[in-house]
Amino acid sequence: MTEPTVPRAGITARGVRRTFGDVVAVDHIDLDAPPGKVTALVGPNGSGKTTLLLVLASLLVPDAGQVSIAGFDPVTQPRAVRARTGWMPDVFGTWESLTCREVLLTVGDAFALPRAAAAARVDHLLELVHLADLRDRPTQVLSRGQKQRLGLARALVHDPDVVLLDEPASGLDPRSRIELRGIVRGLAAEGRTVLVSSHVLAELDEMADRAVIVARGRTVAVEEVAAAAQARRTWRVRALDTGVLLAALDARRTPHPPPDRDGVEVELGSDVEAAELLAALVRDGVPVVELAPASGVLEQAYLALTEDRR
Amino acid sequence: MSDDSLTSAAAPGPDDAAHAPGGASVLLAARPLPDGTGPGTWQLGWTGVRTVAVLELRQRIRSTRWTAVLALWTGVLALLTILVRWAVHRIYDESFEGEGLGPGADEAAARLADQVAGRLTFGIIVFLVLSLAGLVSPALSATSINGDRQAGVLATLQTTLLSPAQIVVGKLLAAWVTGLALLAAAVPFIGWIYLDGGTPFGRLAVVVVVLALTILVVCAIGLGWSAITARTSSSAVLTYLTVAFLGPGLPLLFALSVPLVTENKPVAVRQQLYTAEGAPTGCRVAQEERTITYTNRSWWLLAASPYVVVADASPKPLTENGSDDPMTLIRDSVREARLGPRFPLEECYESDQAQQRLDEQRRDQRESLGVTWPYGLAADLALGGLFVAVAVRRLRTPTRRLPTGTRVA
Repeated sequence: MTEPTVPRAGITARGVRRTFGDVVAVDHIDLDAPPGKVTALVGPNGSGKTTLLLVLASLLVPDAGQVSIAGFDPVTQPRAVRARTGWMPDVFGTWESLTCREVLLTVGDAFALPRAAAAARVDHLLELVHLADLRDRPTQVLSRGQKQRLGLARALVHDPDVVLLDEPASGLDPRSRIELRGIVRGLAAEGRTVLVSSHVLAELDEMADRAVIVARGRTVAVEEVAAAAQARRTWRVRALDTGVLLAALDARRTPHPPPDRDGVEVELGSDVEAAELLAALVRDGVPVVELAPASGVLEQAYLALTEDRR
Repeated sequence: MSDDSLTSAAAPGPDDAAHAPGGASVLLAARPLPDGTGPGTWQLGWTGVRTVAVLELRQRIRSTRWTAVLALWTGVLALLTILVRWAVHRIYDESFEGEGLGPGADEAAARLADQVAGRLTFGIIVFLVLSLAGLVSPALSATSINGDRQAGVLATLQTTLLSPAQIVVGKLLAAWVTGLALLAAAVPFIGWIYLDGGTPFGRLAVVVVVLALTILVVCAIGLGWSAITARTSSSAVLTYLTVAFLGPGLPLLFALSVPLVTENKPVAVRQQLYTAEGAPTGCRVAQEERTITYTNRSWWLLAASPYVVVADASPKPLTENGSDDPMTLIRDSVREARLGPRFPLEECYESDQAQQRLDEQRRDQRESLGVTWPYGLAADLALGGLFVAVAVRRLRTPTRRLPTGTRVA
């Protein structure tokens, strides 16, 4: 068997704008999602994430801006884009009376896949999302989380180069979330471009390579998750004896707010600084129990950038 | 040999799982993917149409109580057929009883009565089936597209390689097949009345074909409205209104248009001349003021009504008698309207023979008219085609505007 040789060109969006009447859903979004990486699309409710994904999925024409999916323009070359794009909508409707397997095979037919190859792939995907037991049950008996997993399988039936996932984790139980993370990382490892929109920031820390943060329909920041880990952020220190800890911090002239039940918060510039602080505290004989980031990498960046909820 | 196995290697190889630990390891073989240039909106490949039609029919069969619907439909038709047949035969049998005819003549008259009764029953049943089809068919398609939109499954199809035309035609085909199933259930009853006698075979064949095409047109109208409106209740109502406009609405419009085509003006009239004693002597043509209704200007309003199409398309029974069944009656009336007034107006009735000669002349003129049903049927099919085209345009993606109150997915 050969590795996929098709050049996989990822997603670029420049200055995308889309209004509905007088409602500006997407104002000005720039986005790059390179192949082989998981890019997170993060933003408050109503910030235009779903609308942007509809533009990328070749369902909406943007009012302005340029979009390229796997090297094609979804407005002028929608068929080329669709053949290469798997889209999982936020609200997943399904043909209720069809079985899971029939749903996926129908999508395979709609993509004009050869029957035998499609059947093998469908069976594999049902295993992948743990719906093999329910393959011949009508989808109306599925729970919300199971439907969500079927939606993921549906987006992957035609072996797409670009995968657009709109809130894929909503409704999933903890185990399914962890498995979703594995599937998404696997898709990127195969060289596909993955764009995930989500609210569950802690999860994206582990799933995503980069994050595009949007607010009020505009791109406000692009964070490399690995780099963001090196950014200045809040850490939490807990010791058996808080008094000793405070004394040690004061001696090191490390600024800190008054302690609470869970310890003391300190601002540190990087992981290196954190390691240095821990070593110093241990050296000073402080009985340190815990030194950890107070919040996720993306959460920190996100909260700083999106104070204006709407 | 080995070349073959390499190129057709769509199935997973043993080392597939190795290079894709967590992901979708069963990959599809490299296949031709469309580039920017392929066919677009109106592309109508059969496999795509079949995919949509199979999907629709599967859902219909599983999610509706179609056996109950079919049983109810058949039951209603059986009841109606039995009642109409009984009523018509009772009236005709009574009218031919006790007329004091001789034994031989009695038998011939009874046979004739049977034939007339058979034709009458046939006409009534056909119009009933046509009316019922008009009532039931909108339900087959009038919520097809906006219903899918509401359920969030339309975009699932739109983001595949299916063209809008394939989605619409697939849905239309599924709705039509369902309608044809209902028609198939009605055929035995129509056939039963046909076997009662009096009806030419051509009429039976024409009736079934026109019924099938009428159902197709109604399904297309429903599909069009379901693509235009966001709410399923709106599209259902609009479909019923459109069907009502075509069926009884157009003949009603024809009746209402009479004042528009009626003129008061001097026309040529053939009048009776009298002697001084008042005995008729001959005829002469003079210009006289008359109120004339030029139905030849408005008859086309009738042509597209399915009732008229089916009546006009069915061959006339081979009898000397005139219009003794509803289909022939409509057929002749429409042609009469199409002929319009003939000048000079005949007001000089010299004798019964002359009157009969004029009637025969008029009948020959009617029969020599070209048929109207192809125009009516073509107009209906064009209307259906228009609705299909509108539906296809409405399903084009990516889209610039959304119907108010809809989500794109």
